[in-house]
Amino acid sequence: MAPRVIFDSVWKRFRRGERHDSLRDLIPAMIGRYLKPRREDDRDFWALRDVSFEVEPGRALGIVGHNGAGKSTILKLLTRIMRPTRGRSVLQGRVGALIEVAAGFHPDLTGRENVFLQGAIMGMRRAEILRRFDEIVSFAGVEQFIDTPAKRYSSGMQARLGFSIAAHLDPDVLLVDEVLAVGDMAFQERCRTRMAGFRDRGIALVFVSHNLHAIGQLCDQVLLLDHGVPVRLGAPGAVLAEYCGGTSHTAEEEDVVIEASLKAPRGANARAIDEIHPGDTLELEVSVEFRVDVKRVTVGVVVWDLTRQLYVYGASSDSVGIPAIRAARGDCRSFVFTLETHLTRGLYAIEVNVADPDRDRFLGLVRGIRHFEVVERVSYDGIANLYLTGREIAGPGVREKLCAGAQK
Amino acid sequence: MAFLLPLEPDEQAGSFSLTMVIRTAVREIIAEQIEFRELFVQMTTRDLLLRYKQTAAGFAWAILMPLLNTAIFSVVFMRVAPVQTRVAYPLFAYCGLLAWNFTASSLRFAVTSLTSNTNLVTKVFFPRETFPFAAVAVSLVDAAVASVVLVGMMAYEHISIAPVVLMLPLVVIVHVAFTAALALFLSMANLFYRDVKYIFDVVLTVWMFASAVVYPIDAVGGWIGALMRINPMTGIVEAYRSVLLYGAPPDPVSFGTAAALAAVLLPASWMLFHQLEFSFAERI
Repeated sequence: MAPRVIFDSVWKRFRRGERHDSLRDLIPAMIGRYLKPRREDDRDFWALRDVSFEVEPGRALGIVGHNGAGKSTILKLLTRIMRPTRGRSVLQGRVGALIEVAAGFHPDLTGRENVFLQGAIMGMRRAEILRRFDEIVSFAGVEQFIDTPAKRYSSGMQARLGFSIAAHLDPDVLLVDEVLAVGDMAFQERCRTRMAGFRDRGIALVFVSHNLHAIGQLCDQVLLLDHGVPVRLGAPGAVLAEYCGGTSHTAEEEDVVIEASLKAPRGANARAIDEIHPGDTLELEVSVEFRVDVKRVTVGVVVWDLTRQLYVYGASSDSVGIPAIRAARGDCRSFVFTLETHLTRGLYAIEVNVADPDRDRFLGLVRGIRHFEVVERVSYDGIANLYLTGREIAGPGVREKLCAGAQK
Repeated sequence: MAFLLPLEPDEQAGSFSLTMVIRTAVREIIAEQIEFRELFVQMTTRDLLLRYKQTAAGFAWAILMPLLNTAIFSVVFMRVAPVQTRVAYPLFAYCGLLAWNFTASSLRFAVTSLTSNTNLVTKVFFPRETFPFAAVAVSLVDAAVASVVLVGMMAYEHISIAPVVLMLPLVVIVHVAFTAALALFLSMANLFYRDVKYIFDVVLTVWMFASAVVYPIDAVGGWIGALMRINPMTGIVEAYRSVLLYGAPPDPVSFGTAAALAAVLLPASWMLFHQLEFSFAERI
């Protein structure tokens, strides 16, 4: 299918610092420019350098990166607020943007009046808003306050109402910027479901967020940016692992050199390491080269949930029967550990550390040495795999007891 | 003039010819106006609603201001320094003030219309001309309200309506187009250079007295009078008086100049606005 969003080697330049914005400053500036022609000076900087991607209908692209990476600039170019300095940004069809969803709200107007105003700003027809008005209001959960001026709303109510209007657009392309941060857990869940619904209806989605978990669940491809430079574009697993690995320290201390490798599940025939099934056994080989003399140290293995940056599991060599390690400078020791992945679907990373429990410090730590992806279709969220099973039962028994209890 | 434009040197512009730029701009402008055809109405409604909610007298202000001005100028030009007018002076002045106030208040709102909506300009895409155009539309509603009093005064003075009144829509169109062109230009000028607003306040005061709003143009002779006749607002204000009060067609030279100017200025400033629109978010 033809892509709905084309971002073709886009460059965008900004100027740092203040510009002259009064006529009084303009005249000296013009004389200065005449005497010394303007060139690309150090006040210019490239917010985006040669960024390209395409999004097809029904696909979702996630954009991740640290603050200042250029994520918002991409959205501003896509929404046509700005134009690229080089390259082109093309969108096919109607564009909806879940960005600053309450920007058009006027504090003195009522919720109802603001819905029509904000809707028009987003390009909705009045008839369309009228038809879906009740839906919009109830999605936001502000039914009782709809005729109250927006200035009496809490910031959460304003954001929910704004999001709700935008969520009832009927776009071909939807641009989303960190809106999942508004509202309580229940509202966020509704938003996420809504966006997955958009994608499944064949809308092309561009999603900017720091919520890596949401990106991992929603997107087919992820773009990682660093200071405006596209670092990697690809499947969420690999890109998010690189992003998270890059954020954490590798080899923090210099006292030891750790090398570790993860082996494919035992017994599995040529199954790749990034496609683990729940319950698979992973084999981890660790070798440690010591640069100092140690008397009593342990090797720890930690599993992180990559997208949620959650500590899932941690244990160390002394608790699995390996005696405390005594080594001299220059010694090299190797170990093998096994792990059973009773995990739900998601992206996980393994961290290996060497610790000195007596002095309560790490001699060395490597994180993100290897990530693996657990693939399964039973659970929809969570960390620990509890292997839910079920069936319907007929005849007398538990059900009658329960139903009888309910009728009382 | 090109060096005055606060444009960054555009690396893509080099290979395009001017006609291509214009053709693309026209296509984009039309597409945007279709896509956001209801926004202009909503934005105007917003500004009218706000006025109604935020002020005690609401639309009464639309009538009170020109009435008060008429009273003041009636004292000046009937008692202090009497001037000869073809109809009763209050009617002459009210008609002129009505027309002038439309332009003055449109532009006064328009000049800050972009800078006072920073949040929308930097965050959300829609045709930015909606802001200055809404400022013009709100003032047009005010003028419509105030014109009720004009009709009353005309009836009181037994002014009979001549068939030439059919030219009134043409006068209004020229007037609105001219005002809208300036509104576009001023709103973006103030976005780039914030002192435009202050300069414009001064210009507005001088301009009113140079536009034959409160005294007849015949009262001024010499080269000053000649200059005043070229002023498009003189042509427009006089055109209203001609078709409504004197029952004569507007002066072809002064009104023709104004109409020609409006016909050139509106597309030109709209095109310029559209070309610069994309730098608004960076420059505001």
